Amino acid sequence: MAALSRKNLIRLIVNAALILVAGLAACGKPAEPPPPWKVVDAPTLRAMMADDRDLPVYNTMSEIECLDHRIPGTKCLACEEIEKDVAVLPADKNRVIVFYCESAGCYRSCRAAGAAVKAGYTQVHVLDGGMPAWKQAGYSMETVERIPRGSIPSVRAPALKQMIAEQKDLLLVDLRSEQSYKEGHIEGAANHPLYRLSRDYAAIPLDRTLVLIDDRGFRTFLAGSYLEMKGYRVMRLFGGMQAWQEMQAAK
Amino acid sequence: MKDSARKRRCGPPAGWILLAVLAALCLPAAPAAQDCRFCHDEPLYRFDFNRSIHAGNGCTSCHTGITNIENHRDGKEKPAPVNCGSCHEKIAKEYLNNFHYIQEDFRCSDCHRNIHAIRKDPDKNVKLAIINKCTECHGNADYTASGHGEAILKGNHDAADCADCHGLHSTQVFHTSLEQYPAEAREFYTQKCKRCHADSVMMARNNLSDRMVAYYEGTYHGKVQELGYPAPVAGCGDCHTKHNILPKEDPRSSIHPDNLEANCGRCHSGFHPRFLSYQSHPDYTDRQKYPALYATFLFMGALLVGTLAFFWFHTILWWRKVYWEHHRMEKEGIVPPSVVATGEGLQQVERFSVKYRVMHVLLVLSFFTLVLTGFPLKYAGTEWAQTLTRLWGGAHMSGLFHRGAAFVLIVGMIYVTWESLTFLFPKGEGGKGWLKRLLGPDSLFPNLKDLQDLKGMFLWFFNRGEAPKFDRWTYWEKFDFLAVFWGMFAIGGSGILLWKPEWSSWLVPGWVLNIAALVHSEEALLAALFIFTIHFFNTHFIPNKFPMDRLIFTGTYRLEELKEQRPLEYERLVAEGRLESLKREHPGIPLKLISATFGLGSLLLGLMLTVLILWSLLFA
Repeated sequence: MAALSRKNLIRLIVNAALILVAGLAACGKPAEPPPPWKVVDAPTLRAMMADDRDLPVYNTMSEIECLDHRIPGTKCLACEEIEKDVAVLPADKNRVIVFYCESAGCYRSCRAAGAAVKAGYTQVHVLDGGMPAWKQAGYSMETVERIPRGSIPSVRAPALKQMIAEQKDLLLVDLRSEQSYKEGHIEGAANHPLYRLSRDYAAIPLDRTLVLIDDRGFRTFLAGSYLEMKGYRVMRLFGGMQAWQEMQAAK
Repeated sequence: MKDSARKRRCGPPAGWILLAVLAALCLPAAPAAQDCRFCHDEPLYRFDFNRSIHAGNGCTSCHTGITNIENHRDGKEKPAPVNCGSCHEKIAKEYLNNFHYIQEDFRCSDCHRNIHAIRKDPDKNVKLAIINKCTECHGNADYTASGHGEAILKGNHDAADCADCHGLHSTQVFHTSLEQYPAEAREFYTQKCKRCHADSVMMARNNLSDRMVAYYEGTYHGKVQELGYPAPVAGCGDCHTKHNILPKEDPRSSIHPDNLEANCGRCHSGFHPRFLSYQSHPDYTDRQKYPALYATFLFMGALLVGTLAFFWFHTILWWRKVYWEHHRMEKEGIVPPSVVATGEGLQQVERFSVKYRVMHVLLVLSFFTLVLTGFPLKYAGTEWAQTLTRLWGGAHMSGLFHRGAAFVLIVGMIYVTWESLTFLFPKGEGGKGWLKRLLGPDSLFPNLKDLQDLKGMFLWFFNRGEAPKFDRWTYWEKFDFLAVFWGMFAIGGSGILLWKPEWSSWLVPGWVLNIAALVHSEEALLAALFIFTIHFFNTHFIPNKFPMDRLIFTGTYRLEELKEQRPLEYERLVAEGRLESLKREHPGIPLKLISATFGLGSLLLGLMLTVLILWSLLFA
């Protein structure tokens, strides 16, 4: 302690103050590394598409959803397909590519972008705020095969639980990816991932009322309308697996 | 069969088409409509459409983009998507943010399915129609069983339908999985409830009280919400639930006595069942329903008005007397001896030791922190309150500072109590002579002389006698001191109860918390106004001390000032031979500068807060 000169003491105090300030700054906002792709807003994407007519812009939702409504001139490519095999993307890894998703809280575009970056693509972009941002900017949409909106009743988690207990003649259809299904699902639910439902729906039996289950309840309405169009009787789980898990956790 | 019929009819001679094109060029709307219906000849278009609200529009008003009718007939040209927004602009704009559009890409015709036959029907029960439409998908058993739903089914046109709360074309969704939930949702829906439930005409029509909203806004829940922080407090829907809104007499209601424990328990935990007697919408002025609250309200009101009225009166008279006296002396060229003191008179004498000066600074800091964090809650609806709370870093941080400052004050109070006890019962003397010390000149406890001084001051105010001669403590200083003590019991006691209301319920029933909230708030108002007007004037703004007396910060004043302001104390000090030990050096420049900055800053801040408080009290 006696060896601590005045100069050292000042240095110590200054360092302590710097550490404190840095610490406080770190408390204010947890440091998050920036994503390895570029985020663009709707007007920017529109300008990019106007400049480059062949710009590959991918709707990362399921084919059903994408053909129903998408940003004009964009391609349908579900993020699960990209994750499986990036060969579906352009061969030129320095080509600008853009991904977008159904909602601001949806991570499919980011997962697709992550897969592209990992595969060596250097110019990966993601639409900030997804399709809602595009719509809210007042830009038009494009429809290839519109699904007539049905009247799909929703059932809340506790009511569904009771219906299962009463052994109603239901078929639970889990629309989430194979991976999510593996990680946990409602007992007795069959997995028919939404991203390939347009190819696989015929495997679902027609003799029972379906209860559609997704992550958060956002995607079952359109899937339900699609299946209703195909002749199924359909209900959907309000709030999706999240609502179900919250109910289970509350018990 | 239908197709062949259409072909037969639609395979017309070229002249017809020429006629149609010519007609389309001259009179675009109506003839075009007729042409469309030549092929599209279903009764819906030929009959129902003519009686519909859109009958005045031709087909091509909505179905645009056909340039060549032959190409269209051959399936080569399709009309552009219908854009209802070209006429219904306002709705289209609202609809851009509609959840059904954003998330599910609903278009107008997905809800307005019979658009070609839609008619204006003045007798239509719009509310019922809305419920029917929404429940096609949202089969909400809760809502249809609720008070609102039941009332609409019975024909009530005031009760809320789906759109009244969720919006019709501007439907928002605050999904539980999104970050904005629950703060934005709570704020949004609580405003929706308030819009009708504060409407006095509508509530009177339905035998409901329009005051419920105001009573809620007077509680902690309502105030934090109004301040702009709905996340941590209960909004309407948290207690009354979202759809199952029923009167408390109904056993299915969330606010039925049997369900209250579970209801409150969704946010609060660890409470005694008597916690449930807390009133979420109390009316202080309702003597029948809340007698204890009413009595507290009266008592606190009387205390506030009485104390302020007496001391403001006292202050005005005092100021008048001193100002007139100053004027007289100025005119006659008389200068008070303390101002022109020389020699011995310049000697600095200690009035407050370092310990008491530090304690006063701590008191000032904690008091300001409490006022600056507490009053924004009291006047939550004002702009300044919301700005101030943002500066603190939000309601939660503000609350932490409030509790921190309260802790400092409570520790100070305990210390002063200890000091008072050792003053009364010094070591070695035991219980002997405590009464003499309690009523003696060095005590801050009021005695008979204070009563005489008070009378003397009033006589002096009215030019009926000399100003009384004071000893160490004047009666107003004693009042200041004891007011902090009383205030600490009222504010501190109620504050501790409100600190953790769930734990308090093991000590007192919930309705006592209503009383505690009232006492805490009213006593705070009294304390703030008393300090910022009366204490500030008595000690600092009185003309011979204006703008401030730095004595409490520097601790010393001139001997001449001691003689002038505390003549009896001076005589005592001389008689007891203690004066010598109180002589001090003149305070240095740094101490004087710091004292002036801190003191004047505090005074200015206090005055500014007084303006804000009085403005809020009178106009907000």
